[in-house]
Amino acid sequence: MLKSEALVTKDLGHTVKTSEGPLTILKGINLEIKQGESVAIVGASGSGKSTLLGLIAGLDQHTDGEIYLQGHALSALDEEGRADLRAQYVGFVFQSFHLLPSLSALENVMLPAELKGDTSARETAIELLTKVGLDHRLNHYPRQLSGGEQQRVAIARAFASNAKILFADEPTGNLDSKNGVLISDLLFSLNEDNGTTLIMVTHDAKLAERCDRFVEIEAGELKES
Amino acid sequence: MLAWKMLKREFKSGDVMTLVIALVLSVGTVTGIGLFVDRLQKSFEIGAANLLAADRVISSDEPIVPLWQEQALDQKLNTANRVSFSSMLFSDAGLQLGQISAVSAAYPLRDSYLADTELFGTGVKTNAGPKSGEIWLSSRLASLLDVTLGAEVDVGEATFTVTQYLVRDPGSTGSVFSIAPRAIINLDDLAKTEVIIPGSRVRYHLLLSGEQQNLLDYDEWITPKLTDGIRLRTPKQRGERVGETISRAESFLLLAGTLAVALSGVAMALASSRYVKRHLIQFAVMKTMGATPKRLTRLTLYQLTILFLIGAVIGLLLGFLIQFVIGLLLQDLMAVELPSPDIQKLWLGVATGFVSLVAFCVPLMARLIQVTPLSVLNPSAPFQGNALFIYVAGLVGMYLLMFIYTGGFALPSIMFLSIAIIAVVISGLGYLLFRFGRARTQGATTGWQIGLASLYRRLLSNLFQLLVFTVILMLGLILYGIQANLISDWQKQLPENTPNHYLFNVLDDQVEGISSLANKYDIPISNWYPMVRGRVIEIKGIGVKEIYPRRADEPDLVEREINLTWADDTGAGSHILSGVFSSEGISIESQVAKEVNVTLGDELTLDIGGIQQTYPITSIREVDWSSMQPNFYIILPKAALSQFSANFVSSVFLTPATAPNFYKGMAEYPTVSMLNVGDLLKQIQAIVNQLSNALQLVLFFILSAGALVLVASIRVTLDERLEEGAILRTLGANKKLVRQALLVEFGALGFFAGCIASLTAEISLIALQIVLFKQDVTLHPLIWVLGPVVGTIIVTIIGVFASRAVLKVPPIKLLRAF
Repeated sequence: MLKSEALVTKDLGHTVKTSEGPLTILKGINLEIKQGESVAIVGASGSGKSTLLGLIAGLDQHTDGEIYLQGHALSALDEEGRADLRAQYVGFVFQSFHLLPSLSALENVMLPAELKGDTSARETAIELLTKVGLDHRLNHYPRQLSGGEQQRVAIARAFASNAKILFADEPTGNLDSKNGVLISDLLFSLNEDNGTTLIMVTHDAKLAERCDRFVEIEAGELKES
Repeated sequence: MLAWKMLKREFKSGDVMTLVIALVLSVGTVTGIGLFVDRLQKSFEIGAANLLAADRVISSDEPIVPLWQEQALDQKLNTANRVSFSSMLFSDAGLQLGQISAVSAAYPLRDSYLADTELFGTGVKTNAGPKSGEIWLSSRLASLLDVTLGAEVDVGEATFTVTQYLVRDPGSTGSVFSIAPRAIINLDDLAKTEVIIPGSRVRYHLLLSGEQQNLLDYDEWITPKLTDGIRLRTPKQRGERVGETISRAESFLLLAGTLAVALSGVAMALASSRYVKRHLIQFAVMKTMGATPKRLTRLTLYQLTILFLIGAVIGLLLGFLIQFVIGLLLQDLMAVELPSPDIQKLWLGVATGFVSLVAFCVPLMARLIQVTPLSVLNPSAPFQGNALFIYVAGLVGMYLLMFIYTGGFALPSIMFLSIAIIAVVISGLGYLLFRFGRARTQGATTGWQIGLASLYRRLLSNLFQLLVFTVILMLGLILYGIQANLISDWQKQLPENTPNHYLFNVLDDQVEGISSLANKYDIPISNWYPMVRGRVIEIKGIGVKEIYPRRADEPDLVEREINLTWADDTGAGSHILSGVFSSEGISIESQVAKEVNVTLGDELTLDIGGIQQTYPITSIREVDWSSMQPNFYIILPKAALSQFSANFVSSVFLTPATAPNFYKGMAEYPTVSMLNVGDLLKQIQAIVNQLSNALQLVLFFILSAGALVLVASIRVTLDERLEEGAILRTLGANKKLVRQALLVEFGALGFFAGCIASLTAEISLIALQIVLFKQDVTLHPLIWVLGPVVGTIIVTIIGVFASRAVLKVPPIKLLRAF
């Protein structure tokens, strides 16, 4: 049953130590997200949605419950194992783009493959950059690109690794409305073309509405709608 | 390669460049010092070898075993022979006892003869000695025999033609005390003279030269075969004092260089810390893409290796270039040509680069690998870094380097402690100054207020800057003070008052004549000291052989016959440290007293001409050997020596103008020996000059490293400064105000550093005057001007340059970035 799901969480909880004692950030989260589904995680600032995204993407180790990412139980993996899993299945799009300033647009898109030791990623990268409309900007460095262009490079990079699940953290948060619409169009169309699962944290109600469904977090607990 | 691709672009950002420059400075400084001192060391060894005329001399009263020479030839060493003996020489005018050396064709193996065709000429260098049938006479011997070039002189059964006047025979200076006027003949003619008969006092010498390793191998082979009466002499023993001075100088220079290395290390750490700060998110992003910690470790190690290679190669080239330039500049000062540097010494620079990188960069870079991928979502995600570990790594690295440089724990520990004390004092003074500056300028409407407030606000970072620049300026001022005042005074003293010729074997009735000869030509002459030879045989009632069973352990005082004198006072160039100069007991030089472990009241037994006498030590003297006055390890009561017929010694100062007259006048005293110590003086001066020049160079490196630290630490705060500048300018402050604030901040930093440096440098100079140079205390007003002025200018220029972006970038661009 678990194999057919892209992501499953069972009673997921997360508690951190603070100087004033343990602080529970997430509690009893149960989620099932199917392959190819697009899901928005919404909620107020500080509700715990970014923490949830970090945990289900395997960026941090949760403290309670279990997460199955593409059928793999994350609690059984150490950082090396989680990194391997990310390399295999996961792509990211961030609010602040997070392109490597020392690499050109093309090199940034080639990076996930190069980190795997695959050096034949050039053609795929050019193809993806052409898809996002940046074939004329291949050798430009991030600081020579506008915010919208940088996010397009980031989307190309996210798809470059043949990810099965794409995690997006406020992908339009740093863009004006015109660019925001462009980026979300691009994100959804690529997602459809590639059959990837999209899990997105957003404040943007319009963006959330474009997803198959959305889940709301309030004070660390899930309010499914 | 991904590592190179990422690094390549980073060179344009300042951090990687700062890192590389710091690495180049460290490696360059240490390599430069290492190579230069190595050349200096070797040049003095060659100088000492020149005095021996070879790299090794084996001397024996019996003919040298032929096998020894064959073995030397087998070990690819060059060999030469000298046989020295005293014999009468006969001319038509009369006869004279002379010290004759019969030398083989290869002699001398090091240095050259000085010979002249003019009587009492200064000599021309030549390597070819007398041919068979020829004899070279010293000018004194020629005048005593009343012969000129072309005349015939008989030695034993052989007749020789005088072909040159011998000015200097390189290997002969060792035997000054048996000096009779000298002559050289060819070894092939020795048998013809028939003067060597059983019982003759003859000394046979085998001279060797060649590659260092071959010489060491030979030393090992020959040492067990050396029996009593056979001596192996090496340039090292010969130049031991000079050698010790140089090796001490090397430690000192390297420790001074350590400051450049430490500062470069700090610059590296600062640059790394900014690099790490800017790259944390990038590494987190790569982790989200599935880069494992292993993969990222490899990536970072590749990058560090590339940086190390670049820094080491450029640093080595820089070091090589620097020592080459100094060598070129100082060539004239040296008594001998500077030998080429030893490439093996390069490892010191490479080790410095490696240790610096590992100590100052690696612990910081490790943070990149430890970064949690969660930082991409939450930049303030807790970071598991141990700051203490980073400081400890830096300190351990520095300590390790100092240990490598000095080969011991003592100096590094002393230096660490001194730096800690200096740091506390300077930080304390700095804190007070910064607070004072802040308290006087409340508000934020003028550049003065903003600038001084900045100093106080970034207190820790600025105190560190203050410390760095104070120490650099202080060292510079001390060096300036030493060179401008102390050394130049000392140097001036040397040529004017320091004797450069010793007179030996002067008989009682010759003293007056020679004194009046000197007075006639206005030649300065020091006191006359009676001198006899004697040997210390017992210390505190115990036989010397019992105390030192192994000959190699014997200190100078007991190893050989020493010169003894008596006097009414200590004379010039020495003073009493403890006890009273008395006619009842011995006055002993402090260093040898320490070596044989005696103090006031202990008794020494001496054997003088077969008579043993015991005296208590009543005073301990400190002797300034560089004064070139006749000086003695032991001065005896007059009664002890009255029964012996003493020779007298003195010293004179001859100039090229007065020397010929004095030499001619001295022809009347054929038994008197003269030793020219002018060369030794030149050597001492050369050392002093070399060291102060080398120190200046090291100081330049320290200053460069200090500048780099300032630049790097401004870069660390650059983002914050840019933001502040942008806010100020958005709020309506004009460019002028922002510039003024920067000028005040860095100007005040430099000014404060200069003031503290002047104070500490003056205190240090006064201490040096009292302790080391034993001069009257004088103040150095120029230092009080130089410190603040130079400090203000240098720090302002570097500071404003490094933060120029704050003025250049338009505020809107800055605000958008934050």
